[in-house]
Amino acid sequence: MLISKYGFTFTVAAFLLTGTAQPILADDAKPFAGQTITVLLPSPQDATMAADFEKATGIKLDLQTASWDDVSVKVSTALLAGTAPADVTEFDWSWTGQFSAAGWYIPLNDAIDAATLEDIKGSTLFNINGDVLAIPYTNDFRVMMVNTKHFADAGVTATPKTLDELVAAAKAIKANGIVKYPIGLPLSATEGASTSWYLLTKAFGGDLFDKDMNPTFVAKDSAGFKAMEFEMMLLKEGLVDPSSTGLKDSEINDTIFAKGITSIMISGEPGRLGQFSDPEKSSVVGNVAAIPVATVSGKTRSFGLLEGLGIPKASTNPGPAKEFIKWMTSKEFQVHNYGNGVLPTRTTALAEVEKSGKLISGAALVEQAPTVEALFPAGAPTWYPQFSLAVNTSINSVAKGEITVEVAMQKIADAVTEAKKQ
Amino acid sequence: MNSQSAATTTSWPGVSKPADAWLAFLLILPILLTMVGLVFYPIISTAWDSLHRVDPMQQGTPFVGLANYTRMLTDNEVKLSWWNTFKYVVLAVTAETILGVAAAALINQIKVGRQWVLAAVVLPWALPAVVSSIIWRWIYSPSAGLLNGILVLMGFDYDNHLWFNDGTTALLLVTVVHVWRMLPLTVVIVLAAMQGIPTELYEASRMDGATRFDMFWKITLPLTRGAIAVAMTNATVSAFNLFDEAVVLTLNSVETRPILLQIYLEAFRKFHFSYGMALSLTVTIISLLISLGYVLRVYRNTRMG
Repeated sequence: MLISKYGFTFTVAAFLLTGTAQPILADDAKPFAGQTITVLLPSPQDATMAADFEKATGIKLDLQTASWDDVSVKVSTALLAGTAPADVTEFDWSWTGQFSAAGWYIPLNDAIDAATLEDIKGSTLFNINGDVLAIPYTNDFRVMMVNTKHFADAGVTATPKTLDELVAAAKAIKANGIVKYPIGLPLSATEGASTSWYLLTKAFGGDLFDKDMNPTFVAKDSAGFKAMEFEMMLLKEGLVDPSSTGLKDSEINDTIFAKGITSIMISGEPGRLGQFSDPEKSSVVGNVAAIPVATVSGKTRSFGLLEGLGIPKASTNPGPAKEFIKWMTSKEFQVHNYGNGVLPTRTTALAEVEKSGKLISGAALVEQAPTVEALFPAGAPTWYPQFSLAVNTSINSVAKGEITVEVAMQKIADAVTEAKKQ
Repeated sequence: MNSQSAATTTSWPGVSKPADAWLAFLLILPILLTMVGLVFYPIISTAWDSLHRVDPMQQGTPFVGLANYTRMLTDNEVKLSWWNTFKYVVLAVTAETILGVAAAALINQIKVGRQWVLAAVVLPWALPAVVSSIIWRWIYSPSAGLLNGILVLMGFDYDNHLWFNDGTTALLLVTVVHVWRMLPLTVVIVLAAMQGIPTELYEASRMDGATRFDMFWKITLPLTRGAIAVAMTNATVSAFNLFDEAVVLTLNSVETRPILLQIYLEAFRKFHFSYGMALSLTVTIISLLISLGYVLRVYRNTRMG
């Protein structure tokens, strides 16, 4: 009898402490304390993220990470099935059109104040019809990466500003026998091949589409056409490894550039500067620098591929999920997260990192940042995946000698026409 | 005892015929529910949805009749993927059947340690497709690959040779990996049938002066025909389902893209869901029809024989 009396008391106490007691005990500043949310992001992420977030908000974090490609598949299949892949997920810039049309994500307008939106200028990429579907957390734009030691060994002292100078530098490196293939350029049927071509199209002074979203790359004198011819010239001249037809951009970064087997990454990611400076992941520590994208005219251009955080409509925890987005896109976390190689999306956070002297290749990034354009100023279209797939499969076929550049350009344009009809 | 009398005497003692029928029904109920829930309902649902426009980016799911099916006829990527798939099926089924029967006949001759040989032969089949594809990707690698290394050692100029930059070669090499993985199943099926052939038949034919080839051609092959048909059916269905080998070895490359990869891209990259369903059903129907061809032919031959 005594046991059952204490047992009852203990049960009530435990119930109060763990269950119904939560709202009473919760801190006013931590309205969602004790709740748990799931977050799905590409790997790697900050090792102490879960603990730090729980300390700041009282919300438990179940963080799931995978490669970007795997996250992409997991997100789309779960959403198609009408379920939430997680309470907060990765939201790539290229998904904006599709996901908006499908109505899969909740607008975050009420969760983010005007000052934050002003500070994170890249958020316009995720704004469609007035709805902000995601808040960018990683400032991914394109620069060029060079191995400074290779340049010095080849006697190249000036930073290439034009594509001619870049090719001349690559030829000098090859002629001096420093590396066999000095330029890293993905030519496989993967997204990396597409983004490299987009960048080179801008480097040739053009754009992919006109204001009515009609392709502008079919004509032989167009920037897009010249960009693909340029890629094939690099391949033919032996400046690009022929096995690039089977390599993803991540493989070229991780296993070729980071090992000093190639000297120039045409489409470099600023976020990888941290990786290239880590002795455990790179054998070119201290020899890698970002340079502004070399162009035909010498006036640099680039485009943004920002990645954001969004909340699926099917999420059952939108409140704490918004707290996570606010926390992860805060200035303090962004400054801290630069230590993990994630470039801040907040102008103020970027300035603080630069001021602290921690920004690797800071001058080049600061020079490139204002030139970053949106690939699709009106937002990524719903048919972006068809377009991108046609681009990279065509580049791959041209590089293997299966089709000509002319045929490839027409195939891409036809794919756009077909996709628009649907 | 004929079959009729057998049927009349199989009731349990003290159990009435209706109760017997109920028991039988209850026993098959789990598999019946499983088949209805996991096979028939999804097929019917998919077939019905394929007649509609199911696209998460567009409002509603209007009835579009056979539009998703007629669209395949003008879709160049789909046509190319189909063509690649038919090449995979012809190459893989031919190779698996010829090599599988030959390997089974050889293993059948082994008297000592056959189980160890069989275990080694079965190993590739036990590996997940992605794993075996990654292994072969290393073998085909231009710089450090085993294949180029062996060819260079033999004196051929294959240093840094790129195997996947030629569409035809790439398709053949993807097929090799698929055959390597699926061949063991053909071997096991045919070997099981070979072991069921009475040895007296071979002894009698040997006494009649038959050669080893005569015995294989006139005894082994006819008596394993049914098993070969089963193996060919399996080989056909698995070749139609080829996916992992192509993705791992050549990514989304159009020159080697099988129809299943095209379906994946349509459904999960482009979000053309109902089009993907129509393509999936078409693959299922075609692979089953081709497989049915083998089965009917064997059935006819065995009845005629």
